[in-house]
Amino acid sequence: MANSNGWGDGAANNAIGWGQGANNAIAWGDSHAKSWAGATDIVGLTTDPDAQAFITAAAITDPTQQLAIDNLVKGLKSDNIWTKMKAIYPFVGGTATTHKYNLKDPRDLDAAFRLVFNGGWTHSSNGATPNGTNGYADTKLQPLSVLAQNNSHLSYYSRTNQANGNFIEIGTESPDFLLWYKAFNLTRGNVDGSMDYTPTVASTQGFLLASKYSTSQGLMQYNGAQQLKTGVSGNTRGAKNIYLAALNSTGAAYYSSKQVAFSSIGDGLTDTEAANLYTRVQAYQTALSRNL
Amino acid sequence: MKLADITTEDITTLVGLLTEVQKDELVGVYYSADSIYNPITDIDENWVISTEEMIYTTNEDTLWVKDLELIPYIAKPTPSPF
Repeated sequence: MANSNGWGDGAANNAIGWGQGANNAIAWGDSHAKSWAGATDIVGLTTDPDAQAFITAAAITDPTQQLAIDNLVKGLKSDNIWTKMKAIYPFVGGTATTHKYNLKDPRDLDAAFRLVFNGGWTHSSNGATPNGTNGYADTKLQPLSVLAQNNSHLSYYSRTNQANGNFIEIGTESPDFLLWYKAFNLTRGNVDGSMDYTPTVASTQGFLLASKYSTSQGLMQYNGAQQLKTGVSGNTRGAKNIYLAALNSTGAAYYSSKQVAFSSIGDGLTDTEAANLYTRVQAYQTALSRNL
Repeated sequence: MKLADITTEDITTLVGLLTEVQKDELVGVYYSADSIYNPITDIDENWVISTEEMIYTTNEDTLWVKDLELIPYIAKPTPSPF
């Protein structure tokens, strides 16, 4: 017999074929406890609590966006990357208000590294686009107080292809702690030590990551492919906030105009972890139909 | 030239010209939810804001920015960070 909600009560064979009794070959029950192992999870109703906290804070109501965030968080946790993150900016929802939140700590506080947008930005479902003139975002995150020496990373997912120029996608100085695509005729990551390479790929679209994960090992990856692995010596870390779309110099400088669809700051990632992060981020962008 | 006269292409090349007093009125002020004005100086030391800040201003106290005179933006030279 079917209940009013259309699901079987298990007293007998259910005409619709779903129920808690032994006669249901597909083995779906009326609660998780009564379902066969794993069967209930496939309906996708279980939202990760950290994902839900972000969804609630940012007031994300679109089911596709909610699912993309949920899968991203679950994936990062599955890959043991989640705990290494200090700030994750997923740029979902299409407004400054939804884009400002840190997925790792979605409180509307400087202490939670929530972004503060300054100057000219355009927000859309594809991400946030700084104008390259005076637009930047203050993360409120200071390397000296948050990140350990020889154990940090920066990442930036750019949706803009831009010719060589003089712009910086994320960073601070004194000492330098930054990341840029193909500016000043090279691509640079400086996370406790400077790493440069001359890009063989003309495009500046895609996911760029720089990581320092030991006293002697640093790496840079572009779209999950290793571009550089080197033994760089560690710097001290500075006490100025990291900016997105500019360098925090004496104020913001080297403004970037690259649309950002994801960015992260956190502990150092190994080769495998960095590649896994790219895979998760690309899946996230694909779910939002804005992948490159 | 005013905001109402520009094309999409002009958005990236023009900026709104501010007086020193107007600049002081905008520093640290929100132009819309979660977005703050960032007046900067151009190569001639003029105080300016971007056309995006003008277009997206919803703060009723600063709607006057939509009437700012527009001028071409020429950035100050930026030294190499090396």
